[in-house]
Amino acid sequence: MTMVTQAAALEDATNASPGPRQPFFPRKKKRIPGRSIAILLFLTMCALFFCIPLYVVVVTSFKTMDQIREGAIFSLPHVWTLEAWDHAWNKACSGINCNGLKVGFWNSVLILCPSLILSIALSIITGYALALWNVRWANAFLFLLFICAFVPFQVIMYPLIRITAAIGIYGTLWGIAVVHAVLAMPVLTLIFRNYYKDIPQEIMRAAIIDSGSFWRIFIEIILPMSGNILIVVLILQITSIWNDYLIGVTFGGLGTQPMTVILANLITVSTGVVAYNDNMAAALLTAIPPLVIYFLVGKFFVQGITAGAIKG
Amino acid sequence: MQLRWSRMMPQLALAPAVAVTFVAFIGAIGWTAWLSLTRSRRVPEYEINWSEWTRQYERLFNDAGWAISLHNLVILGIGSALAIVFGFILAAMIDREWRGESFFRTVFLYPLAVSLIVTGAAWRWIFNPQLGLQNFLHGLGFTSVSFNWLASPETAMYAIILASIWQSSGFYMALMLSGLKSINTEIWSAARLDGVSFWRLYLEIIIPMMKFTFITCAILLSLGVIKAYDVIVAMTNGGPGNSTWVPAYFTINALSAKSNIGYASAAAITMLVITALIFLPLVLITTWQQRRANGGSR
Repeated sequence: MTMVTQAAALEDATNASPGPRQPFFPRKKKRIPGRSIAILLFLTMCALFFCIPLYVVVVTSFKTMDQIREGAIFSLPHVWTLEAWDHAWNKACSGINCNGLKVGFWNSVLILCPSLILSIALSIITGYALALWNVRWANAFLFLLFICAFVPFQVIMYPLIRITAAIGIYGTLWGIAVVHAVLAMPVLTLIFRNYYKDIPQEIMRAAIIDSGSFWRIFIEIILPMSGNILIVVLILQITSIWNDYLIGVTFGGLGTQPMTVILANLITVSTGVVAYNDNMAAALLTAIPPLVIYFLVGKFFVQGITAGAIKG
Repeated sequence: MQLRWSRMMPQLALAPAVAVTFVAFIGAIGWTAWLSLTRSRRVPEYEINWSEWTRQYERLFNDAGWAISLHNLVILGIGSALAIVFGFILAAMIDREWRGESFFRTVFLYPLAVSLIVTGAAWRWIFNPQLGLQNFLHGLGFTSVSFNWLASPETAMYAIILASIWQSSGFYMALMLSGLKSINTEIWSAARLDGVSFWRLYLEIIIPMMKFTFITCAILLSLGVIKAYDVIVAMTNGGPGNSTWVPAYFTINALSAKSNIGYASAAAITMLVITALIFLPLVLITTWQQRRANGGSR
């Protein structure tokens, strides 16, 4: 909050001084900063609106319940305490289990790892084969994948439950991981295929003449060229798998729920006294991993979500 | 030998993806469609009585809960469309003003990084009547303000819309910003030389030039609205009563709470039809216009 206002004040200060642009039109010099201030003021107010939930969640998570009952939602904590964070991590209840969010955290990690490997391995090879090798039905299949990318999950939910149950992975971490990989396959394949289709055919011809086989070309030429798109897809997948709720709640068993499901159980429970500070600490704990990724590699994050969204 | 391998291997490598597509997508859609024609309840039945094969759909469209869901879907769609408008305004302003671009972009986009369950939790807390924003405003003297939206069936949907606008406008801003940046800079200077007014510049030149970006946003928005589920669970769990049900919620509720497989399947297939009805025209328009824009070279 303070950071935002500071930045706004700073920007307002820079506006007040006349800009160096357009020295030949002294009249305009005055008008443009005026509009700039209006724009910046508007943007700052919007930025404040966007920051309200984060600010409220953060300060609430450090408050004691006594202070929360006073009802001043925007006030800073009288005493900063980590009690709620400790409680959310170690003792929060999901149904009858009261082992805290840490169970969910590790479940989410254990879902994430195999799911990332599976989904990326499956779609990178599919994308590569469709883009660079002459498969006669490639276009028809791509069209099919494009359609599949838009199918609402509810339509295939019950059959997927039955199929995973038949394989024996329903209600396990593997079940969730496999379903994530299956659902991500169409979009990721389209992303990889669009990236590879711009590789010149000459490179592929030369590689084939050099007696390169399908897999050798993939490992020695294509994979080293795929650094950027791999990072984009990795970020897209990490955030979407981590933030998923529906697949986790549908395919997770009692002890295998990801973090978001435990958080949802926590906030929707209506019995007894609701510990809002615990809830907000739990929400923050769930939000921290993707937020860290976002602030560290924001550029790739934006690329990832826009690529994933435009194609699917 | 070499040649044969190079022809076989790509197809072999595609086999897993083909299998997944035909089992998990096409097969599963067919399975659900079939179930929607049967009398399945808790246990699936695969026999179709052709004299009454539409019974699940007939029941569905006589169900008040489904009517509410469809009604909410429309409200949610119209309300969330504000996120596109808002996103465009933000993008246009950020694009006009070079100061603080990356700062504002970062602030507007961060909601997208967090789970909708987290978003719902945060807004649920802000809407808390005793301790949240309403209490704060009353403390300031605005005692007539009611911000207890989640408790009343008439306003709960607006709370959800507010939260989803908060979550997604940054995303539309990012799409619009890249659209604006791809516009030739000469247009700006030409417009300034000709003395085109601010509003005419945007309404008659910039927005028509960005129609593909707008169509993309509209497609994504409508898909997101049809899929909206997490935010409902986190904020209202369908309540109060069933006033915030949407088709995605209705379908899962029919499957898990009522354990009625046939009924849930009928609702799911209807969802698929709605998706197709919205999505196919938009995609066809886009491809048709793109082909025309390419000068009919194909």
